[in-house]
Amino acid sequence: MSATYALKRLAWALPTLLLVAVAVFALLRMVPGDPAQLMLGDAADAVQLDALRETMGLNQSLPVQFARWLQAALRGDLGRSLANDQAVLPLILERFRVTASIVLAAVALAGLIAVPLGTIAAWKQNSALDLAVVGGATLLLSIPSFWLGLLMLLFFGLKLGWVPVVGYVGFGEDPWQALLYVALPIVTLTLIETGVLTRMARSAAIDVLRLEYVAHARSKGLRESTVLRRHVLPNAFAPTLTLLGIVLGNLLGGIAVIETVFTLPGLGRLLVDGITARDYPVVQGCMLFVATIYVLVNLLVDLLYPLFDPRVAAE
Amino acid sequence: MRNALLAGLAAASLVVLPAAAQTPLRASLNSDIRSTQPGGNRDFNTDSVILHVVEGLVALNEHAAPVPMLAEKMELSGDGRTYTFTLRQGVTFHNGAPLTSAEVLWSLRRYMDPATNWRCLPDLNGRSGLAKITEMAAPDARTVTITLEKPAALFLSTIARPDCGSTGVLHPSSVGADGAWVKPVGTGPYSLGEWRRGQYVELERFEGYAALPGERDGFAGGKRALMPRIRFVTIPDSSAAKAALLAGNVDVMTDVPGPELPDLRANRAVQVLAAPSMGVTALLLQTRDPLLKDERIRRAIALALDVPELVTSIVGDDAPENPSPLPSASPFRSEAQTRRPARDLAAAKRLLAEAGYRGQPIRMITNRRYPNVYDASVAAQAMAADAGIKIELEVLDWATELDRYTRGDYQAMAFIYSPRLDPSLSYEMISGPKDTQPRKVWDDPQALELIQRSMTVTDEAERQRIFDRLYGMFMQQVPMVVLYNQPDYIAVRQGVTGVRPWASGQTRLWGVARGG
Repeated sequence: MSATYALKRLAWALPTLLLVAVAVFALLRMVPGDPAQLMLGDAADAVQLDALRETMGLNQSLPVQFARWLQAALRGDLGRSLANDQAVLPLILERFRVTASIVLAAVALAGLIAVPLGTIAAWKQNSALDLAVVGGATLLLSIPSFWLGLLMLLFFGLKLGWVPVVGYVGFGEDPWQALLYVALPIVTLTLIETGVLTRMARSAAIDVLRLEYVAHARSKGLRESTVLRRHVLPNAFAPTLTLLGIVLGNLLGGIAVIETVFTLPGLGRLLVDGITARDYPVVQGCMLFVATIYVLVNLLVDLLYPLFDPRVAAE
Repeated sequence: MRNALLAGLAAASLVVLPAAAQTPLRASLNSDIRSTQPGGNRDFNTDSVILHVVEGLVALNEHAAPVPMLAEKMELSGDGRTYTFTLRQGVTFHNGAPLTSAEVLWSLRRYMDPATNWRCLPDLNGRSGLAKITEMAAPDARTVTITLEKPAALFLSTIARPDCGSTGVLHPSSVGADGAWVKPVGTGPYSLGEWRRGQYVELERFEGYAALPGERDGFAGGKRALMPRIRFVTIPDSSAAKAALLAGNVDVMTDVPGPELPDLRANRAVQVLAAPSMGVTALLLQTRDPLLKDERIRRAIALALDVPELVTSIVGDDAPENPSPLPSASPFRSEAQTRRPARDLAAAKRLLAEAGYRGQPIRMITNRRYPNVYDASVAAQAMAADAGIKIELEVLDWATELDRYTRGDYQAMAFIYSPRLDPSLSYEMISGPKDTQPRKVWDDPQALELIQRSMTVTDEAERQRIFDRLYGMFMQQVPMVVLYNQPDYIAVRQGVTGVRPWASGQTRLWGVARGG
């Protein structure tokens, strides 16, 4: 069932991706600004501009530009960056590795903290502990990520000097150094996402705690810890998993603000730099890649859902 | 045996060297370089980095005048058309090969090939009207001759320009067998080490560098690579760059934006250095706009502004106000070009009344990419309001503003011009026929004729007279209000010596050392 379902979902994703490609292409071309102009600056004359636009393939009609790009994209070739002539797909994959390592760690940590915390807060609903958890989660949720990142950077990097403030080292080169460089971004992202997920986990657990099978379990004389562990946590996790999928999809698409603050060469920064430079192939490639990731992550979440809620599998 | 012992000692000394000595000198860049090709796919940061690696026959000195670099001397023929360059002896490329006229000729021919996309090709193939090279030759191993179609006063300045990559002389091994670009093998004090895109570009000291005698002088003079390695680190966010500087993760923060200055100046661990660059910050007025085509309204706007006050409020004492399109650092900005009519609200109102202005809004495009430009537009808006001029600000992103500038699609615009290192180019950047070049601000045939003349005249006194005359016409017609030359700010950690901002705005890390 799962394999057929997955294939169907993937087939449905194709028109979505095509739509994304068309929309991104059209929207990008509607935004004022010219990559050739940006490259040549205020000293460019019309002849120079025209020559560079010709080299960049921007003098062709829009449908021709799109058709060529799409044709190549179907072969796995997302073109070359207008800014630095690098092949876009390897560039995206290289940057995605950085983003993914941070996002996966942060989301896993946030999930590990938020789900038990939210469940306990729900269990102790309206107590001082609950209020503290809700207050803390709301606070984390309200803090802009760039501000929290900068505070982290100033305190742990600048004041205490525990971690370097800028730069990035790959895990393959020096795992300890790599950890030092990504520690603050991971902590920042974990804190922000913990706020979101805790509130969701708490709300889901409150719903589950009110259900009859929980009352039944309690009436059988099961210990509260067993009720929570065996009956509440797995059932409350299913809706949180959906949110986790959305969060993961969003974040894997680029954590531009975090990457900019911490100077990480990730996908989000690539996209933002691409937009600023009107680097069409990079922006189009990034958006298509992000949409694909989003589809895949949500598909994965849907496939995992029955593990936590058998009623979905039955349906 | 002795060699092995020495090698062992050298290796051991490396092990016991303090970490600071092994760490490269690190300078921040607000964006990554675009490529490693001199004058090719480039921007300001790219030029800064590449000019550590390559050198041309001539280079611009501290006053933006072309002086010999790889050339020992240069001579101009009697008819003003042929330049003869005699190469310095003892200069080698990063690969150890000696510099000869063959490499110079190879480099020049490569630049003149349209396939190279060299930025300055139109300025040297006659297309822009600046100069046209008709012949290049290498009569012997130390001599190169370049012949122009007709005399061109700007020829040497052009080939020395940083945005042309200083027409850097390259060894043919800079390209592969298929002609594709590999990396610059030049003669500069540093060679290209590792470029990690989006992260940093590292340069290594060229031990065989043949330095000119004397002190550093702009891009010329005695360049000494005091640090074994230098690293330009890409940090797009200025707050992060500031934090990195304060934490000691970078030693030099280049291109410091105004909002970061108070914090840095208050910190004793760093020092902020400033010098006016040759970039021009100005308010452009569209002379073809139905409202602003009236010269009286443009003059009224100029009279409504208290420019000295405006400039002081934005850059303090770091840069003086400058009414002239010529930068204050230009030797051609004479005393006559420092005079600007003082603020006179009564006169402004009188001109507005004569022109029949009744408070129609004037939309001024501005941006936040350059905070000082935005601040200038806000201050101008407030000052103009005192004379009854209603300015509405339209804040756009830089790419969009540049696009509107190129199309001349604006009523008024707060704008920053990149540095022009020759006075003729300073006027050329703003003047031209709007029918064919809508980006040009000032369309006056008489002015254009004078500018063209300034490009061919080699007599300095004559050129000075031309620029003074142009200034008079410019101030009378007010196609734009020049405010000041944007200061170039560099912040360095204590212990770093030799960093000095200068008119071109480009960072130079030769002659720079880090103590401790």
